[in-house]
Amino acid sequence: MHALIINGSPRVKKYSNTDKILEKIISGMKDSGSTGELYEISDRKQWEEIREKFYHFDHILIALPLFVECIPGLLLEFLETLPVPAKDEFAGERKVTEGSETDSAFSKKPVLSFLLQSGFAEGCQLRCGEEYLSILSGKLGCEYGGTLVKGNNFGIRLVEEKDREKMVLPYQRMGQIYGEEGNFFSEECKKFTGPEQFPGWVRVMVGLMFKTFAKKSFDKAAKEWGCTKSLKDRPYET
Amino acid sequence: MILIVNTTTDRTITENLHAALEQNGFSDAGADAKKEQKNKKGNNVYEIVEAGESRISPCIGCNYCWLKTPGICSIRDDYEEILKKMVHADQLWVISGTALGFMDHKGKNIYDRILPLATMYLHFKGKQMRHYRRYKQKMDFGLIYSGEAEKAYLERWNGRAALNFESRSLGVFSKEEIKEAVTCMH
Ligand SMILES: Cc1cc2nc3c(=O)[nH]c(=O)nc-3n(C[C@H](O)[C@H](O)[C@H](O)COP(=O)(O)O)c2cc1C
Repeated sequence: MHALIINGSPRVKKYSNTDKILEKIISGMKDSGSTGELYEISDRKQWEEIREKFYHFDHILIALPLFVECIPGLLLEFLETLPVPAKDEFAGERKVTEGSETDSAFSKKPVLSFLLQSGFAEGCQLRCGEEYLSILSGKLGCEYGGTLVKGNNFGIRLVEEKDREKMVLPYQRMGQIYGEEGNFFSEECKKFTGPEQFPGWVRVMVGLMFKTFAKKSFDKAAKEWGCTKSLKDRPYET
Repeated sequence: MILIVNTTTDRTITENLHAALEQNGFSDAGADAKKEQKNKKGNNVYEIVEAGESRISPCIGCNYCWLKTPGICSIRDDYEEILKKMVHADQLWVISGTALGFMDHKGKNIYDRILPLATMYLHFKGKQMRHYRRYKQKMDFGLIYSGEAEKAYLERWNGRAALNFESRSLGVFSKEEIKEAVTCMH
């Protein structure tokens, strides 16, 4: 299988968590003998080419970060410009009457799958975004290939190389499955999300971690970025 | 204060809204500000921002508003004025066009760019992980849409987005339901 792969993050490739995840997905796809062609929504210069290619692929994967419970505004802006074919433009669905065969540009409906990743860790945080993706594939005239759902990715861009590798490595196996099956419907992909909600004791532990380790690492990152204010600063308070 | 941001270029929606609000005893902060300053705050005061032709770029996820210039977005465009008003708003109503069953990108950008109102720090609120609000002010969310949309989905989404800011959903209404929307502004 040869898939069109779109990084739907508005963040430039270099800093995009989605990009680091996709590296592993694509490497996993190779393990299963599949290939992918990668494009970035953050680079508007690529939009025209993605638009032209979109409906010529049998398999499309859009990987995206959750932005306020749904898809990022920039990705939405791009998708609004896709030339969604009328239903009967797909050869697979077209009633071809003898002698009047029109030359359809499209062979059959693409299978559109998604990889939805987010900052918050628990699966329940991504379900609202996931529901939209299942609606979206229909609106775009595609077959839905399911969504790989995974949180806890905020730190990918902030951590050191070896920790980053640890965070993204599990996606390789998901890439392999995607390469084999062309969708994310398998049990293994569903389980990949992890817990829907942390049990109470984990919440207590994580809550403690927020006040200590996480706070320290955010403050450290801020310092490295040249921040001179408290992270709780209220610049617009009067 | 009720902040209403119209991201469409259709002024008839805000004209209708304006009329319905006046009828229900609300007062326009923009108009009153010229007369008297005293009415700027309070529950029955509203302000309409026409943003249909404003320059509002999408969020690019740079995280500066959390980690480099806390509370300030690195994109200096027409959104800054809206953000400053949000700090004093009890309610945010976005009027948005629709696309692909959802609100369109101009509407969504208003929410994506809202991150400066939260801080980087995290906590559990009830059973949900949340960012702390930067300001004390709580702002409930309402949505008015123009065009075809999956309304049930928009309702679910609006509820979740509000929850992120520890506030309530005031409901989702099509532009034909302005009167119903106004009853939720009290
Ligand atoms: C504007 C904005 C909104 C976000 N909204 C959410 C959200 O609602 N839930 C969540 O869990 N993470 C949210 N995140 C976090 C991102 O999904 C997360 O950091 C992701 O890994 C970023 O991937 P990227 O670097 O490829 O853009 C948001 C980030 C931004 C910038």
